[in-house]
Amino acid sequence: MGSRVNPNVLPDLLDAINQAQQNAQTAVQEVATGRSVNNLSDNPGAAAAYVGTAALSSENDQYLTNLTDLQGKYQAADSALNSAVQIMTTAITVGTEGANGTVSASNRQALAQQVQGLQQQMLAIANTSYEGTYIFSGTNVTTQAFTADPSSPTGVQYNGNANTTSVQVSEGQSLQTNVAGSQVFTNASGNVFQALNDLQNALNSGTGIDTATTEVQQAFSQLGTQRVFYGNALDQVTNSQNFLNQEQVNLSSQQNSLVGANLTQVIAEESQAQTSEQAALAATGQILSLPTLLSFLK
Amino acid sequence: MGTLNASLNIAVGAMVADQTALSTTSNNIANANTPGYSKETAELTEAPAIQYGGFVLGNGVQVEQVTSQRSSLLQAQLDQETQHQGQYNSYLSTMNQAQALFNETSGTGLQSSITGFFNSLQQLSTDPTNTSLRQGVLTAAQNLAQGFNNASSNLTSLQQSANTTVTQTVSQINSLTTQIAKLNGEVSAAVSTGQNASSFQDQRDQLVNQLSGLVDLSEIDAGNGSLTLTTTGGTSLVVGTQSYNLSTKASSNGFQDVYSQGSDITSSITGGSLGGAIQVRDTTIPSILSTLDSLASSISSSVNSVNQAGTDLNGDQGGNIFSTPPSGVTGAAGSISVTLTDPTKIAASLDGSTGDNSNLTAMLAIQNQASVNGQTPLNAYSSLVYQIGNDVSSVQSELSGSQALSTQLQNQIGAVSGVSINEEAANLIQYQQAYEAAAQVASVINTLTATAINIGQTVTATG
Repeated sequence: MGSRVNPNVLPDLLDAINQAQQNAQTAVQEVATGRSVNNLSDNPGAAAAYVGTAALSSENDQYLTNLTDLQGKYQAADSALNSAVQIMTTAITVGTEGANGTVSASNRQALAQQVQGLQQQMLAIANTSYEGTYIFSGTNVTTQAFTADPSSPTGVQYNGNANTTSVQVSEGQSLQTNVAGSQVFTNASGNVFQALNDLQNALNSGTGIDTATTEVQQAFSQLGTQRVFYGNALDQVTNSQNFLNQEQVNLSSQQNSLVGANLTQVIAEESQAQTSEQAALAATGQILSLPTLLSFLK
Repeated sequence: MGTLNASLNIAVGAMVADQTALSTTSNNIANANTPGYSKETAELTEAPAIQYGGFVLGNGVQVEQVTSQRSSLLQAQLDQETQHQGQYNSYLSTMNQAQALFNETSGTGLQSSITGFFNSLQQLSTDPTNTSLRQGVLTAAQNLAQGFNNASSNLTSLQQSANTTVTQTVSQINSLTTQIAKLNGEVSAAVSTGQNASSFQDQRDQLVNQLSGLVDLSEIDAGNGSLTLTTTGGTSLVVGTQSYNLSTKASSNGFQDVYSQGSDITSSITGGSLGGAIQVRDTTIPSILSTLDSLASSISSSVNSVNQAGTDLNGDQGGNIFSTPPSGVTGAAGSISVTLTDPTKIAASLDGSTGDNSNLTAMLAIQNQASVNGQTPLNAYSSLVYQIGNDVSSVQSELSGSQALSTQLQNQIGAVSGVSINEEAANLIQYQQAYEAAAQVASVINTLTATAINIGQTVTATG
């Protein structure tokens, strides 16, 4: 006689049906959410790593916003300096014209007045503001950078400071946001306001126009040097943007491989679960309707 | 030499024995689907032989006893698994909700609030005088504080619900131990008078199994059919016909401790749904809360001290942004709030000028400082997420292992104690035929007796 088996097979059969239904449900949930990790316990390691990538991705979004802000600021500064360079070009032309011996005294006065106009334009440019703050006043951004001051040899007074600020634009990388007005417009190796003031005085007096024009040229090239900062900064913005955009693509693919569902696999699993559920149901049906010995007793 | 009367007695005895066997079979079939029922068998033995003249003559059949087929070893193993499952299910019912609070993949959790706060500082660093960006920092700080408050209060209410499970389970345990003590009495009484205690034992096995799901049990056979039950920590629950009720009493933290006969046994309970609920309430959730407290306390005190070191938009020295965390850190996540209301008082500057953002840079550096148990705030949080997921996942594995083992044990118990309709049908035929044969024998003896009575009579006596 063989060993006795459990005559009640129902619990085993119901277990099999439940298991198949559970597998199908898991697969359906994965398809519905597109994620293989729907609870932390599904894959604790992936869920924890996801926290890191989600934070990085959110930080990168912020860096990209920072870059857009910086780009606006840099463009405003660059465009202001572009106008400043044009003013200096005009000033050099005016100086060269005034240095010509044939020019009359009254014409020289007129040229001097033109230079004065240029000076006023330069002042306006040096006081350029972006979104309510002065670009060229160092970190004293709420104070107008330059005010006209006839008592000063430069004709202006600098109210800002020499400080600069930086803004983080990616993990471990910061960009300087500004160059102080004292470095751009009243730099010792090429002082824009001093040069324009000297040129105006030379044209008025008719002496030293050549020297003054040379001084303007020096200031012009100094201005160009300072402008390079903004040109470079704009390039760096573009580079950083490209880097971050690529980084975001990488992060999103990383996130997908951490918690994303492999749809082909999941759908295969789902149909497998359905098949085993049907098999379990069919088996249960058959076993339950099997005759017992009693059925044969007449 | 046998007598006709002796033969008749043997036949009638056989019919009685077969009736008993048929009745046992019938009872088995009737209870085929009764949970906890153990198959019964009528044990037929030869009746003691008698000596008559020079012969030893058989004296028929008798029912020695009706026994139930049970394995107390398998039943005890099943109880053990039931106890584990009670514990795991009770743990998971709470912790599945707890893990949903930190389900970052579906967008819930603290990561976005923590990162959001530091992002708002990044944003302000591009334009430190901008009031709306300053307001943005305060809003992000409020979101962060709110995130901590919500996580903390949700966890606390999960603790409360585990606490309710504790008191409910204790009253279920008391009701079961009372019934088991009563059944102990019934079983002992039946055993001492030599009666069949099977149905009482089946009921008691069922109740002990239910009790195992509630609390970790030691089962000791006290002899005479009586079962002594204690917790694995040694607290008596049932001794003979006496049951010992457990009770609950509020402890200093507001949760209910479990008492038995005046002593606090809370920490000695390790299994069943009572053990699971106590584990979640007193160990697992407090550990999560403690990590959140450290995190909240570390972020708020670091941000406060950096803000104090800087200069605000009005040129004044900065103060606190967050409320000061409680000393000893406990409760920091629940109580953290933003105390700063004036956005101009965020101290972005170190050199005193309005456009300087150096102090914001210092504040941003908090993000990368290993200030929470040797980890950066985000890493500490991510470790917490891992820990919760891993705890739940390992209990889930243990639960499914235990369920598989239970199924196995139930099959083994079924193999010993389960009623097979086929087997019973075969018995039915066997005993039916035996009964018919015995009746036939009785009828033949009757005829023979009539023949004997009618010897020498002209009138025929009829049988």
